[in-house]
Amino acid sequence: MSETLDLREQAIRKWGSDNRAIRKGKWIGKPARRLEDPRYLTGAARYVADLELPRMLHAVYVRSPHPHARIVSIDKSVLPGLGKTVFAFTGEDLRDVPPLIDHVALDNLLRTPQPVIAIGKVRFVGDAVAIVLAADRYAAEDAAELLSSVVEYEELPPVPNVAASGASDAALLFEELGTNEIYREAITHGEVDEAFAKADRVFSTPFEHNRYMAAPMETRGVLADYDRADQQLTVWSSTQMPHFLRSVIAGQLGLPENKVRVIAPEVGGGFGMKMCTVPEEIAIPFIATQLGRPVKWIEDRHEHLIAATHSKQQSINLEVAVTNDGKILGVRGEFVGDGGGYSFNTESALIEPALAAKALPGPYRIENYREEVGAFLTNKSPVAAYRGVGWTAANTARELLFDEAARGLGIDPAEFRRRNMLRSDELPYLSCTGQVYDSGSYLESLDKALEAVDYQAFRQRQEELRQQGRYIGLGISSYVEQTAWGSESSAQAGTPLPSHDNATVTVDPSGKVTVAVSVSSHGQGHETSLAQIAADGLGVDIKDVVLLHGDTSNTPYGLGTYASRSAVIGGATVARAAADVREQILQVAGKMLEASPEDLVIEDGKVSVAGTPSRFKTLADVAYAAHWDSEVRNSEPLLSATRFYDPPANYANGCVVALCEVDADTGVVTLDRIVAVEDCGMVINPMIVEAQVHGAIVQGLGGAMLEHLIYSDEGQPLTTTYMDYLVPTFSDVPPIEVISIETPSPFTVGGIKGMGEGGQIAAPAALANAVADALAPFGARIEKLPITPDYVLRLMGKIG
Amino acid sequence: MKYPLNVRVNGVETSVDVEPHRSLLNVLREDIGLTGPKEGCDDSECGACMVLVDGRPVNSCSYLALQTDGREITTIEGVSEPSCPHSIQQALLEEGGVQCGFCTPGIVMSAKALLDANPSCDEDEVRLALGGNLCRCTGYQKIVRAVLRAAEQLQDRAGTTG
Ligand code: FES
Ligand code: FES
Repeated sequence: MSETLDLREQAIRKWGSDNRAIRKGKWIGKPARRLEDPRYLTGAARYVADLELPRMLHAVYVRSPHPHARIVSIDKSVLPGLGKTVFAFTGEDLRDVPPLIDHVALDNLLRTPQPVIAIGKVRFVGDAVAIVLAADRYAAEDAAELLSSVVEYEELPPVPNVAASGASDAALLFEELGTNEIYREAITHGEVDEAFAKADRVFSTPFEHNRYMAAPMETRGVLADYDRADQQLTVWSSTQMPHFLRSVIAGQLGLPENKVRVIAPEVGGGFGMKMCTVPEEIAIPFIATQLGRPVKWIEDRHEHLIAATHSKQQSINLEVAVTNDGKILGVRGEFVGDGGGYSFNTESALIEPALAAKALPGPYRIENYREEVGAFLTNKSPVAAYRGVGWTAANTARELLFDEAARGLGIDPAEFRRRNMLRSDELPYLSCTGQVYDSGSYLESLDKALEAVDYQAFRQRQEELRQQGRYIGLGISSYVEQTAWGSESSAQAGTPLPSHDNATVTVDPSGKVTVAVSVSSHGQGHETSLAQIAADGLGVDIKDVVLLHGDTSNTPYGLGTYASRSAVIGGATVARAAADVREQILQVAGKMLEASPEDLVIEDGKVSVAGTPSRFKTLADVAYAAHWDSEVRNSEPLLSATRFYDPPANYANGCVVALCEVDADTGVVTLDRIVAVEDCGMVINPMIVEAQVHGAIVQGLGGAMLEHLIYSDEGQPLTTTYMDYLVPTFSDVPPIEVISIETPSPFTVGGIKGMGEGGQIAAPAALANAVADALAPFGARIEKLPITPDYVLRLMGKIG
Repeated sequence: MKYPLNVRVNGVETSVDVEPHRSLLNVLREDIGLTGPKEGCDDSECGACMVLVDGRPVNSCSYLALQTDGREITTIEGVSEPSCPHSIQQALLEEGGVQCGFCTPGIVMSAKALLDANPSCDEDEVRLALGGNLCRCTGYQKIVRAVLRAAEQLQDRAGTTG
């Protein structure tokens, strides 16, 4: 308990007391309709593919058909009109552009520099070999096909998976490293061996997490335009991190950063995939600078499925030591990532296994834990971020194992969780892996979810139906979600990255509000949720707030949107800047109303003397005077402020419960219902929160039941269209109910926690546990995803 | 070799010359300047490119432009005036059925086709009619609710006027 108090005090000392200040008025907490929606609903929204510039060239990639090969020659001279109507660039032509390397601050991680177009060697089917350009896309495609047919390769033995990658005679992806295993590290927390020695029982599970991907509806795309006279480069990219991308492009191309402007126009979904800098975002701008003409590259879906980053794949071996009455004594876990052809920039191949290892304890009291993390290179598309990085796999493996243990001990799975779960009064809590859980409702979320599905009645019905040969199941998945990625969160996650974000709030002479933020929206509805915060901060209607984001030329520097950071960081920077501008307004209004600024309130766009609403000035009058009236204006008259925020780590939590029925003859799983309890601290817009939960759960459902990026033993991708790579459709999705609990963070501005990933973190385990529960009479153990009908039949022993 | 294409697009007579291999989606976006319909797969698998041809929903990525000669095409841009949104657009706004918006034009067109043909549709019919539209953001829940809400409104309106 004293340690708990220490954590709270330390945090307040470190982050300061104004962390809690936020002005909550008419808008925060309201399910406001999204201000941005009219343009989406009418087809007016413009994504990269919708942009055209005069003299624009279309770029088409030549990509490797081989998983592992040396490039012997590329004879560009076969292209008719080369250098006049058709242009082509190979890795050799971009030799001066430095390769992309990850930024993770770990000494014992081997690096795999990735040229922005392959030089000498290709490492996965889809690796970039050349870029061909023409004024017409069809012409560029024809030319790319022609060039593709004359590239000479010397094939090397493929390394299609981790087992092959670790074999003693494996071909090496990077010969200079002398190994394909780029990382291995074990850390022990507490007294693990003692815990296992003392245990009544040990349960273990091997678990193969499938490879799946974000696959946003808008593929990747880049348009670059270089103005040679001004030496100004403008890049439109479907990115989640415009400012960071500007820094990277400037660095890679050797341009002054103030001569590079990055615009993320409308972005049609990202889910983490559009966070890392991809090689295409460097190569296309480089070519634009060389040719002095605008260059546009729009990825097609086939290309996306083979060459955009994949995610999630890792092998996990977990063991849990327990007493007969279900108390967890210790856990051992080995997490091995299948990183693909390059340890991808920004977060490296550790993004899956290392984050999984650190997050493994989840909402449970686990004091003795040994984590071992490994990462291998394989000839597949690189693994990078996708909603729920690492955490999805950790949650799935842990929750499956806990059900297994509960079954083995004859304890109800909900009860097993309760016995080991952290109570609210134990928080803040320092997990054994160094994560400071600030606050939450772990047990309450579990209980609420079970109550919603009438757990006891379900068990009864399950028993009755089993007698009739019908198999229904219920799966529970509890989670914590690390949110608000700033310096602290990333360090606690195990991959330290510095953080920097700002917002500028300005009131113009007419009294209208413009908010410019460094976070970047790609479907999250920031133009509404952040406007709600500004509106409450300044006492105006959200319709009077315009939100700018996604353009480095009119927004302050910051890292954009990923890892559930924007509600906390965007929200806090806006709240702080709005509070400063409010002060400036009150100074002016105080002079106009001959009252002390402390005695004034702003509400509904009017500044009045508290208690005397008839003594008021409209915000428009005050703003006008602040700009034009030298009698009352401030010494710095502009009504504007820019504020920074690098948040303390904080953790959302919740519980997902899924109900299903398994058809014992066909192996088909019918999902009946999903209930999700979500606690993300203070809620800004409940409609948006609910929508995020729905979306994340369905992505998790895809990963658990449908999606799998399959490679043949020869390293060829077999899932190259939506015919083979199945994402959930309208008919795959059961009703989802979302229940909200609000436990404000004691550490962050306004008590806001991030959210948006919990559904993807928790849903796969809920679904897998539901199937395992339904099939308990068959002794089924789920050891891999996705749960396809033939796998179900195998679990039931019906096919071999 | 280009051939003349004469179509009525969102109520406007339009003539362009196009090569025979070009898709309707491509011609709408590049020659006619209507970028509302999106390319999500170019393979008839996602519905982002959905438009109405003579009132019938089609994936314009997999429809040759010249096949539409003499016909009536409606794209998302032709569904309504901004000041007077269609019931489905209004319902999507109210229910929160939009996130990144990339699938939205296709969803609106499929839903409009359904509501035009069957304004008393139920949930199963909605899920079936929109089965060819993928959305990666919303998990579909709020879209289904929105289409049912729009259907209700259209029926109410039909009830009061008829
Ligand atoms: S782009 Fe036409 S169906 Fe996907
Ligand atoms: S709203 Fe993003 S794909 Fe549907």
